[in-house]
Amino acid sequence: MQEIRVARTYLTSAQVFLIAFVTSCALAAAVIGSFPLQMSIATIFLFAGVHNFMEFRYFAARMPVRWGRSTAYYSMGISGVVVLAAAYLTLYFSSGNWLWSINDWTMLTAGWNTVFILWIGVLFYLRGRQKPKSDWSWAFPVVLLLAALAWIIPQYWSLSLVYLHPLIALWFLERQIRRTKPEWLKAYHYALASIPIFLLVLWTTLARQQNLPEDTNLFWRITQHAGSEILPGISSHLLVATHVFLETIHYFVWILLLPLVDFRAIPWKLDKIPLFANRNGFPKLLAAALVVSLLLVAALWLGFGINYTTTRDVYFAFAMAHVLAEFPFLIKML
Amino acid sequence: MKKALNLFALIALFSIAVFADVPRPDNSKNQKSVSTTMMIHLKEDAKEAKLVIPRSQLQQLRAQLDELDKGSDNTAAVVSNGGITRTQTIVSGLFLSMAIVFGGIWFVRSGRKASKTAKIAAIAVLLLGTGSIATLVLANAGPPPEARSITGKMFTQAVHIYGFGSGQIKLEVTNEDRQYIDLIVPDPKTSPSPEE
Repeated sequence: MQEIRVARTYLTSAQVFLIAFVTSCALAAAVIGSFPLQMSIATIFLFAGVHNFMEFRYFAARMPVRWGRSTAYYSMGISGVVVLAAAYLTLYFSSGNWLWSINDWTMLTAGWNTVFILWIGVLFYLRGRQKPKSDWSWAFPVVLLLAALAWIIPQYWSLSLVYLHPLIALWFLERQIRRTKPEWLKAYHYALASIPIFLLVLWTTLARQQNLPEDTNLFWRITQHAGSEILPGISSHLLVATHVFLETIHYFVWILLLPLVDFRAIPWKLDKIPLFANRNGFPKLLAAALVVSLLLVAALWLGFGINYTTTRDVYFAFAMAHVLAEFPFLIKML
Repeated sequence: MKKALNLFALIALFSIAVFADVPRPDNSKNQKSVSTTMMIHLKEDAKEAKLVIPRSQLQQLRAQLDELDKGSDNTAAVVSNGGITRTQTIVSGLFLSMAIVFGGIWFVRSGRKASKTAKIAAIAVLLLGTGSIATLVLANAGPPPEARSITGKMFTQAVHIYGFGSGQIKLEVTNEDRQYIDLIVPDPKTSPSPEE
């Protein structure tokens, strides 16, 4: 008697994740490489506010009700975010006033960068103290070296933040996968390894492209944001495409992938947030904050609809707060 | 006391933002200009670069400057060399020195615990870091002499990659009745090589 066996190939969820990630990146790289300015406008319009809401939602879920032995850490983290964001906004909106010369402006910016770097160093140190078996005092020489770089090459320092910030989302995702979806970790590392390949393809394809037009204020702002003034020898087409590609991955991670690997990050599951569900929590305050966040997302869309260029500028000024807020939560996850 | 301190901290925090209300300078005043034509002459016999401005056009320019002065706009007086200032060098050097000192302390402290591989890795990082800084220092070297003097060589392809050039120049005012500014650029012939 013959037995008939049907050979079936099953894809694991990790493999599906890897295929979806690489396919999405390939599609994004192709479209963004072809239409960088248009995609920059579209992605910021569609996803900027939503991803900020999702970040806030994720951080709210990670914030404990009682800080306990992490009191010093969270106090330093939150006060740093507030003070640095306020100082950044002050510097941003005061730029160009007649009180400050270019040198004053450079000094103040370098000063802000220094405080920012030292704040990160202190967060590392405080986090290290919570791990008795490890010595994290290496953070001090590293941050001092970075502070030296921020003073000697301030323009490259600021530009590096623009390009490195999108990658922080990938780090968050890695830490989250380790905690809640470890079976995806290997696939995720392969997915991460594919990003430099896409970047190389973008760079080799676009290196000889002509600079993008800067005939409108909006186009000029987009190319300037990507570093066309700081790196004049590199095609602005390449710079904008690279920046938009990384930003798109960043949005993709916060809006889709993090809720996918961590059920606590799903927006409507408020019962998973300790600050909301815990007896000692602040449910009304948190609910109000989430409603205000949603209203801000709607207001941002309205603003983009009325005056895209101005809203974009204002958005990126205030967006520094979310860049800062990422550091305490990321370092806490290490 | 605690409430008073909190209130003071809150006021201090928001007082920073008060400066944000300082109005931006009205740059429209600076956009006034004198339209003219410029001719560039490459002259083999010229010894120095010279910018010759017709008196009539200089008077127009002076009128514009007077108008700007009336508006009390002194932003033009602010000079920036566009490079690294002394303060930047000092503060950067200070942080670099502190990084080396703190790195050394950390290295000595962790010496007992660290494995041989970790020590080698730390030394490699230090050397690579120092090497990177050294690259930055070399990157401060100026462009080649062709881009640092106003001569005919400034128009060659080799200098175009720098995207700028500078050099000493003499400003002259002429009474000749002409409608263009004349830039005279020395263009000495290159001496033939011994093989030629």
